[in-house]
Amino acid sequence: MLPCPYAYEEVDVHEKDEVAASLIAWHFRIEPELRAIYRIISADEDAAGEPIKLLEVNAASVETGRVVPFAFGSAGDITYPSVVAEVTPAEMDAIRQRKIALPAGWSLETAREFLRPRAVDAA
Amino acid sequence: MLRDVATVAPDRAGWALAYVKQGGSDFTMYQLLSGMPGVPICHLLHYLQMAGEKIAKAYRFRDTDTAEDRLTTEHVAFSRFIQSYLGSPEIKQRYAGKDEQLREIVKVARKLAREIEKLAPAVDRKTSPANAEYPWLDDGSVVVPCEFTYPNLTLLTEPGGRTFLRLLEMAIADFERIRIH
Repeated sequence: MLPCPYAYEEVDVHEKDEVAASLIAWHFRIEPELRAIYRIISADEDAAGEPIKLLEVNAASVETGRVVPFAFGSAGDITYPSVVAEVTPAEMDAIRQRKIALPAGWSLETAREFLRPRAVDAA
Repeated sequence: MLRDVATVAPDRAGWALAYVKQGGSDFTMYQLLSGMPGVPICHLLHYLQMAGEKIAKAYRFRDTDTAEDRLTTEHVAFSRFIQSYLGSPEIKQRYAGKDEQLREIVKVARKLAREIEKLAPAVDRKTSPANAEYPWLDDGSVVVPCEFTYPNLTLLTEPGGRTFLRLLEMAIADFERIRIH
């Protein structure tokens, strides 16, 4: 029997969500000026090897007028590769106004928003 | 015999441009390798260390009067460059009104830059033998770089790690605009 040409290896979505949540929570903990994180969900998010993609709004970052994503391999408890792009709040506004482009394949329309938890600052 | 290299002796500006181009290429390799599964961390960090050193040399060639032969033959302190870079008018202007944040960034960036410059085998070998190229001795055992995890340089989970990379990218991309002295 020939393999289905449309089949591809899928990841455990629930597990990937948990790992993403863990990474997001860690970043909020270690970056005091991080305001929000957007988890970018692509059409092939469930495909094996598709990284966790985060757009992070950090008031302490430097404004460059462009969005440059950086890739990271899996490390420790972060068992998925990830791609993180950091922007300032002003750049995030510009992104929403389409004055600054997101990386190819990234969209805010299907992104999941994570705002800075109050408990992080109270701790 | 055909030559595809310039035969005119370059001035400091020429050297600076050459170093920022090569440093930029090293940084691109760091980014490419970072996105490839299965690549040992030592290779990513090797390119990051080379990029940092060349970027530092580029700025020092152009903005200081450090002797040319020192810049071309010696390892230039990347951490010292980061200090100068983060004190530049361009960076100060981008962080205008955010002094406390800039102070924190400087603290974090200097620490990361110091860890990165120690990856060069010739730097601090006796006290910090861990480097990105050659096996070293640790407590009687030989450590192989491609099997080492470099825990101090996991930029995904280090405070300021992502901002540091952004600052480095800016140092390359905006070289024409930024002056350290």
